[in-house]
Amino acid sequence: MHSIVIIGAGPSGCFTAQALAKLLPEARIDILDALPVPYGLIRYGVAPDHQGTKAVIRQFERLFERQGVRFFGHVRLGVDVTLEQLGDAYDAVVLATGLHQDRLLGIHGDALPGVIGSGAVTRAWNDYPDAAPVRIGQRVVIIGNGNVAVDLVRILAKGPDEFHGSDLSPANASALEAAGVARIDVVGRSTASAAKFDPVMIRELGRLEGTAIHLHGVTGEGKLVEALQGLAGHAPEAAPREVHFHFGWTPEAIKGESHVTAARFRQGSDTLTLPCDTVLTAIGFQGETPATDDGGAIRPGFYATGWLKRGPRGPIPENRADAQSVAARIAADLAATPGGKPGRDALTKWVPQAVTYADWQRIDAAERADCPADRCRQKIPTLAQMLAVAHQTGES
Amino acid sequence: MPLAILYGTETGNAEMLAEDIASHLGNASVTNLADFDPADFDTGTFYIVVTSTYGDGELPASAQPFAEKMAAQTPDLTGIRFAIFGMGDSEYPETFNFGGKRLEAILTEAGAERIGERVTHDASGSEMADDLALPWIDEILASVEA
Repeated sequence: MHSIVIIGAGPSGCFTAQALAKLLPEARIDILDALPVPYGLIRYGVAPDHQGTKAVIRQFERLFERQGVRFFGHVRLGVDVTLEQLGDAYDAVVLATGLHQDRLLGIHGDALPGVIGSGAVTRAWNDYPDAAPVRIGQRVVIIGNGNVAVDLVRILAKGPDEFHGSDLSPANASALEAAGVARIDVVGRSTASAAKFDPVMIRELGRLEGTAIHLHGVTGEGKLVEALQGLAGHAPEAAPREVHFHFGWTPEAIKGESHVTAARFRQGSDTLTLPCDTVLTAIGFQGETPATDDGGAIRPGFYATGWLKRGPRGPIPENRADAQSVAARIAADLAATPGGKPGRDALTKWVPQAVTYADWQRIDAAERADCPADRCRQKIPTLAQMLAVAHQTGES
Repeated sequence: MPLAILYGTETGNAEMLAEDIASHLGNASVTNLADFDPADFDTGTFYIVVTSTYGDGELPASAQPFAEKMAAQTPDLTGIRFAIFGMGDSEYPETFNFGGKRLEAILTEAGAERIGERVTHDASGSEMADDLALPWIDEILASVEA
């Protein structure tokens, strides 16, 4: 029998486990996560008002509930257990830790107060444990041409009554309302036809109830251009907010002394200066990544999958397909090894305090029970509270 | 009567539902549409099609090769009977369950007959897909076998 450990219980880790469980039904598969809760970016990255996208979680629940995959939560690599220990104990170690750091603009002023990366914003809005709250002002510039930028626009442009059924916390909803966002400019270097926005997410903006939409420089052809043009003239009566889309502008400088006051862009010999008090960057993520071959192997017995392997690209299906190919490679490699390493038995001894799937189910139940009527969940916002709920012992 | 479940999936949700329907029925084969050739349609078999919708109302990735083969081969599916279950997300009302609609049109235009209603599960709703799909298929199969 082979033992496999996956580090990171986000979508790539879970899809890798799912594919491995199919290919190697006899193998013992364990998934570690630094957090006490599974599902990574599905829980903390997918927007709180996109619950349908989060439905893949039902597939992952099955791994733990029926397929014998074991969850070890709140296990921090290098603190609670080392990579070397895992390499000794398991026949295969899969790194699925993703990319966390917001990429910087790399222009003058990009570290000024008021300039915030999409990762930091998304973590705050998704109640990532102990995430610092973000302060949004009334005039926001969003830099980026991908779906993360659209998520940011949509959350900022929705009114308090437009989050029905989401898991946006009342605290975050009040903070957004209190910010009183009046104008959002979305700026990217691509032309409208080359932008990475999903047409379906652009069309979703046409349902905003209190936001007027203005388009600048939308030229060219294609589904995205059609979707953008479909937003032209979207102007609900007495809309308190407006969104402006600009295409083909390269960020040049962020201005301000102690806080951002404007963002400047260039297109050939023209410049565009947008006064603002907040700049949100949605230009991707970075971090140290291991070198792998095409199959995801780092060195014998060690593999990488998902964003850690591929870079911060692609939605859920692309990463699922990649996870399946890495799983196939692992299965092929393991066929040539005898297996029989201690795996789970060793890990359980090293991290007896790990949060189990049953512990997570207690957190999950508490979050669903203790939630406002028009929300589907109220996430527990601190690590300490999560661990307290996880380790509560039942009465019976 | 042999039962064959064909699924089109992009994130795996439709694949999981197809497998659940198979375990519920106990005697049905499960095939990814990506691995199914229209030449293999057989009038003695009842087909249960499960498909999601992806992107801008498109067929999910695993159903696209099937749609291409259907377009290239233009088979005559007269005498083929199928039921179809769609999966959609009402967060995108303009394209809700276009995958199911498209796949149904591809099959019926080739002469196949749809049995029962095309039902669509909403990923943004509170109901589980199984709770909708299992009674749906039981009712259809009861009517087919009666």
